[in-house]
Amino acid sequence: MLRIITVLTVILYFIISCTAYQQPPLTEQASIEPAQAVALKKEKGAIFVDTMSYLECMDHRIPDSLCIAFEEFEEKSKAILKNKGQHIIFYCESDECLRAGQTYQKAKILGYKNIFILNGGLPAWKKAGYEVESIHRIKRAPVVSIKPHMLERLIKEKKDLFILDARSEDLYRSGHIDGAVNIPLYELNKRLKDIPKNRPVLVIDENGKKSFLVCCWLINNGVKDVIRFYGGMKYKETKERKKG
Amino acid sequence: MADKNWFASLFILMILFFAGEIFSAEVKINCVDCHTSAKYKGMYKESVHGNIGCKGCHEDIKSLDRHIIKKEKPSLISCGKCHGEIDKAYRNSFHYLYEDFRCYDCHYEIHTLRPEKGQFKITVAKNCTKCHTNEEYALSGHGAAVMKGNKDSATCSDCHGLHDTKAYHTSTERYILEAREFYNRTCKSCHSDREMMIRNGLSPDTVKYYEETYHGKVQDLGYPTSVAGCADCHTTHNILAKRHPDSAINPKNLTKNCEKCHHGIHPRFAEYKAHPDYKDRKRYPLLYVSFLSMVVLLLVTFAFYWTHTLLWWRKVYWEKHKLEQLGIKPESPFAHEENIQEIRRFSIKDRVMHVLLIISFFGLVITGFPIKYHNEPWAKVIIKIMGGAHNAGLYHRLAAIILIGLFLVAIWRSIRFLFPKGFCKKDRKGWLDRLFGPDSLMPNKQDWRQFKAMVMWFFNKGEYPKFDRWTYWEKFDFLAVFWGMFIIGGSGITLWAPEMASYVYPGWVFNIASIFHSEEALLAALFIFTVHFFNTHLIPTKFPMDPIIFTGSYKLEELWRSRTLEYERLVKEKRLDEFKIKHPGLALKIASSTFGYVSLLIGIIFTFIILWTFFFG
Repeated sequence: MLRIITVLTVILYFIISCTAYQQPPLTEQASIEPAQAVALKKEKGAIFVDTMSYLECMDHRIPDSLCIAFEEFEEKSKAILKNKGQHIIFYCESDECLRAGQTYQKAKILGYKNIFILNGGLPAWKKAGYEVESIHRIKRAPVVSIKPHMLERLIKEKKDLFILDARSEDLYRSGHIDGAVNIPLYELNKRLKDIPKNRPVLVIDENGKKSFLVCCWLINNGVKDVIRFYGGMKYKETKERKKG
Repeated sequence: MADKNWFASLFILMILFFAGEIFSAEVKINCVDCHTSAKYKGMYKESVHGNIGCKGCHEDIKSLDRHIIKKEKPSLISCGKCHGEIDKAYRNSFHYLYEDFRCYDCHYEIHTLRPEKGQFKITVAKNCTKCHTNEEYALSGHGAAVMKGNKDSATCSDCHGLHDTKAYHTSTERYILEAREFYNRTCKSCHSDREMMIRNGLSPDTVKYYEETYHGKVQDLGYPTSVAGCADCHTTHNILAKRHPDSAINPKNLTKNCEKCHHGIHPRFAEYKAHPDYKDRKRYPLLYVSFLSMVVLLLVTFAFYWTHTLLWWRKVYWEKHKLEQLGIKPESPFAHEENIQEIRRFSIKDRVMHVLLIISFFGLVITGFPIKYHNEPWAKVIIKIMGGAHNAGLYHRLAAIILIGLFLVAIWRSIRFLFPKGFCKKDRKGWLDRLFGPDSLMPNKQDWRQFKAMVMWFFNKGEYPKFDRWTYWEKFDFLAVFWGMFIIGGSGITLWAPEMASYVYPGWVFNIASIFHSEEALLAALFIFTVHFFNTHLIPTKFPMDPIIFTGSYKLEELWRSRTLEYERLVKEKRLDEFKIKHPGLALKIASSTFGYVSLLIGIIFTFIILWTFFFG
């Protein structure tokens, strides 16, 4: 009996070891550092794809990048990236941003073979000493920001406050501030007319890293009273979770 | 022909000369001839960059003709060409990495930028609050002081950096360790500046006293996420004086403040002093008395026992030397066969308890002393080996549980010793005799007599006293553990669960508990590692180690020599045979020696470390 148990344990051990060996994590293979990305561009003609919104991409991006927002990848890639063997490097606004990884997964399903993710996104690229290019830079402007605990008072003080939730539709559906209007960042440039210019506008994003640029863009487009929600919904949720 | 050539040459030269003049005149065209705005014409000259000239920055315009017809525009200028150091720092800053700010996004009008004349801090505050205009910043005690012209008070850049603002975005729970380390260090850098603090009517030693508390010590060891740092109590921007009703440290708000980390506390928890001066008799009289009493206790104990130990060592060494010199071997009243007979001194229970006591005691010392001497390099190494302050805390508590268990067993065994038959009235008979009897560890008159005789013997004025089962120093060792357990155990449990303790006593008791725990630990460790080690192991007659506490027995001759009264009593009572046992086995002896020597070595190393730190640290 003991012998049978020993043999079975050994067999089980080998099965588990082999299974573990056969399935290395995908992201580890796909993730590359800025210097590797530069080499890949030089040697294999790799193309950088900025997976953020059009506004962000035109503001600043890795030189010669394509601006294809994650939400639009399926549609745009058919026209722009016809060669499925093309080396493509996806990147995002920070190492917290999931868009590059999400686009990577989508591209994998669509049959792209040589695809990569830039580890650490644009900040890592800049930190490594590489330059970025601006096609239509959004002029930066002073923007007032409020923290979650000030929200209630702001809503009371500014009765006609327009709350602009610039996150994706999915995130908006998973929870949002009462009365917030969802205009995802990737289509904001096409929907300027939906934002009232004569009302105060509070801009909410995912983690506070995009709202500043959106606010500047709104100011440049004639919206007079623009307020930024510090830290985005993530900060608000963290604060609420800590409060218990 | 020659004249013709000469004229032709002169003509060509003249053309070249005038062409040169025309070209240089073209280059010398002044930029302000076209760029007529006041900021370029007059104000630029007086700006900080006024002496550089237009082409100093806009150097890439190759053709003026093309520039005039707007075919050649100047590209973005590189400020880093001159401001190299700033450029280097800025490229790692939050504003560049995450918001892609460029120089001109903060330095709005570069052409009219004037030098700051003593208004630097105010200008920085004004510029930063254009975006960071939360009411918190405006309320800030630091910010308000800056705006009033206080040049010592911190402006935005003093904490966050000017061009090297760190990427510690507090909205996400990332870089917590780096952020806490960075900001604690920043606060401390100003608040430990003695002259600056005195100038502003603040205590110059706040940082020093904070570092003497548990919070400060763990933070200093490199684990700032586990304990309260400056901003946890004083908040980040809304730092106001204690008397201000909105201040986080105002007594009205303090309980709420402590509750952020210490859940379920009684309001009196907030009476804890976050950075007190133990030596300030007027402000902290109880802490002063506690600290002083512990210092006196330490001084008296060591003055007495180290003198006792020194005199003892001298006497033994001197006698041994004399015997060696004269070639005399100590006489034994026993025949060889009788002499090698093993006599049991410690039962299995005693020995197991002592082994556990050593393990728990060393566990407590190794995990506790790095906190006490937090700023020593060795402390950081030990804590790192243990996997951080949190793990060290866990091991410390585990060791404490073992020690508390042993303490309870010792109490139970003491009760059983006094009342072996039971607790009924008739069974209790004779307990007082047992309490002060020869087998008890309770000091009695005989101990006093033996102590006096011992002192006389130290000075060659009497014989070595006859001892019974327990000597007076052994009784002290045992009772010192009892005394220590109340002090160190009581304070330890208080510090272990301060939230619950706050329902029993106010927060300032935690300060007293910290003093007691720390100083009593020093007393216990140094006492064990010097006095106990010497009395039991390092004395020349037993050097380097007496393994009796592990093996449990010694030779009959040893009983007769060191505990004469006990030997005589056992002979008289005809009970000697009860204690005769076999010689301990080889395995037990090897295990005893290994464990004993390792323990001794650790103890001696720690003694050296503690004394070195105490005198030179």
